[in-house]
Amino acid sequence: MTIEKIAEGTKLTITLIGRMDTITAPQLEVELKQSISGVEELVLDLAGLEYLSSAGLRVLLAAQKVMNRQGSMVVKNVNETIMEIFEVTGFVDVLTIE
Amino acid sequence: MTCRESVPMNTSKKKISRSFQKWLLLLVVTAFLATTAFLWVFQTRLAKDNTIRLLELNIYDVRDTIKDASDENLLKLTTQIAAELNGTDEISPELLNELCRRYDVTDINCINSDGIIFASTYPDFLNYNMASGVQSAEFMVLLSGEDKYVQKYQPVSYDNSISRKYAGVLLERGGFVQAGYGFERFKEDIDQFVVGVTRNRHVGEGGCMIIADESWNIVSDRNGNEGKNLNVTGLHIDTKAMAKGEVFTADVYGENCYCMYKAQEGYTIVAVIPRSEVAQARNIAVAVTTTMQIIVFAVLSIMIYILVKKLVVNNILKINDSLAAITEGKLDTVVDVRSYEEFAALSNDINSTVDTLKRYISDAEARIDAELALAKAIQHSALPSIFPPFPNRKEFEIRASMDTAKEVGGDFYDFYFIDEEHLAFLIADVSGKGIPAAMFMMTAKTLLKSYAESGMSVSDVLTQANNKLCEGNDAGMFVTVWMGYLNTKTGEVTYANAGHNPPLIRHADGSVERVKSRPGLVLAGMENIRYRSYTIQLSKGDILFLYTDGVTEATNNNNSLYGEGRLRSVLERETSADINSLCLLVKADVDAFVGVAPQLDDITMLSLQYKLPKGEAT
Repeated sequence: MTIEKIAEGTKLTITLIGRMDTITAPQLEVELKQSISGVEELVLDLAGLEYLSSAGLRVLLAAQKVMNRQGSMVVKNVNETIMEIFEVTGFVDVLTIE
Repeated sequence: MTCRESVPMNTSKKKISRSFQKWLLLLVVTAFLATTAFLWVFQTRLAKDNTIRLLELNIYDVRDTIKDASDENLLKLTTQIAAELNGTDEISPELLNELCRRYDVTDINCINSDGIIFASTYPDFLNYNMASGVQSAEFMVLLSGEDKYVQKYQPVSYDNSISRKYAGVLLERGGFVQAGYGFERFKEDIDQFVVGVTRNRHVGEGGCMIIADESWNIVSDRNGNEGKNLNVTGLHIDTKAMAKGEVFTADVYGENCYCMYKAQEGYTIVAVIPRSEVAQARNIAVAVTTTMQIIVFAVLSIMIYILVKKLVVNNILKINDSLAAITEGKLDTVVDVRSYEEFAALSNDINSTVDTLKRYISDAEARIDAELALAKAIQHSALPSIFPPFPNRKEFEIRASMDTAKEVGGDFYDFYFIDEEHLAFLIADVSGKGIPAAMFMMTAKTLLKSYAESGMSVSDVLTQANNKLCEGNDAGMFVTVWMGYLNTKTGEVTYANAGHNPPLIRHADGSVERVKSRPGLVLAGMENIRYRSYTIQLSKGDILFLYTDGVTEATNNNNSLYGEGRLRSVLERETSADINSLCLLVKADVDAFVGVAPQLDDITMLSLQYKLPKGEAT
């Protein structure tokens, strides 16, 4: 999985490309831990995400919880495969999907 | 994706080869300086010795040349005088005086066969016994076989205040005649010769010879100062203070020189050589040797450096490569650098350390395996595993199975009566696998059961369990749950879904469809989620098939997923299979699809078949 970060002031855009599974999800966790402090607007661009496992869901949920406290989080460009996962797991109720 | 932490090489740490190079350089420079200093002293000494030898040789040469020349001259005169005397019967004093004048010698003495002077131009010498003085006794060799003898210029035995040079030749009548030169006559005779002696003679490159007579007048000198006092050259020879044949320094013709003198035939022969020339010879010798040394030391240190690098550093690097492989986890790597005893010992030590490590690891693995096996037993015993579980209940049949990917898993299923009529059943999937998932699973399972048994509706059970699980969930784990209550009398199922994939229902006519619902968020994801209840009606023979994504996401070696489509077709195909064999058939189909690829996720299934026609409740 490739992680691209663009920080503009308090806005942080993270683009995820590839597969987010048990092995690669900790990468995003580490990245978020490093850069999430002070971020008020977190945008996750999932256009290039091919696969999302429960480990990935866990990281997204953790990010959502952090952003609930310090600002807002938006998930955008969700493709059909990922959207289905969000729907089945009920994530559509807690994530702001654009 | 894996990321191996690599320890960056600390560049401030010295390399062996670099350190060795430094010490080697230091050693070589020290050795070089020491040998150069030694060479300097040695060459200086050698140059001086050579100078002494050079000066001596030149002096001896000149001395011998002078001696030979004067000897030859006097012997010639004496031989002529002897011939004259052999031609007369009577040797009269008049004849001797006449010959003395004619041949311009100082005195002529005739000695009989007894060694007594019987005739002389000096009347005082008459009847002198030649054997009685050291100088005169030398001539006695003429009476014992020799036919001629020449003596060097020296004081005579008869009177030490007189210096003469004598030659003797045998007379035909017996005895011999002796002719002598006084200094004046001697000088007159050979000065002419001596002048030329030094003309073409060099001592080294810039040195020269100077010959002076007894009154220190220069007889021979390359610079043409003949007749002048020796002082003009700058030389002052004090015969008392300065020993013959010893080197001394003096400024000769304005140049500081090493000098040596010797006396011969009344002459003082001086050899001089500029000190600068001696120093130059020494300097050239030192320079040449130093250059050779630099070359030898440089080649030597390069060779030693290469050798050390080859023997030590390269072997260490080889060992390091093996160690790196071991650190990466390839514990079967064997360090095998056996070129030298020390490296062989090091290799053996590392190998035995790795062996010990491997033994510890396998011991630890065995212990962990035992504990995991125990955990697996506990987990499985927590799930209902006796089928049929309710042999007296004819309204339904239930069957479930769980195959974990690791020893313990995060999936679980459960079913129990919450009252006489209602059977609660559920399937769940905890995020993650292994021990943490198993522990979370046990908590979730217990919570769900206790809330269900307390009489809550299925949606409330999930809502309450969610809030409870969110407390202290630092690890951020979550669990998907699909839970239903079956009214065994009516076949109505009330259910709620917390993020789980929808079950399938196979109707008695063989058609398969999803059990639709709008799932709520996974349990333990976020607090205060409200879950909704949904209802479906089961007819006789309908089978509700609950499963986890371990089924649909089972992956084969081509990275293809098993998928819901395949699952549906098994359910559609196996219409004759009873509920007991359905789970096994699905599992067999999944196994056939996966082939030899490893199982990545827990595979859990639960199927429930309703058996009463609607309204036939007993």
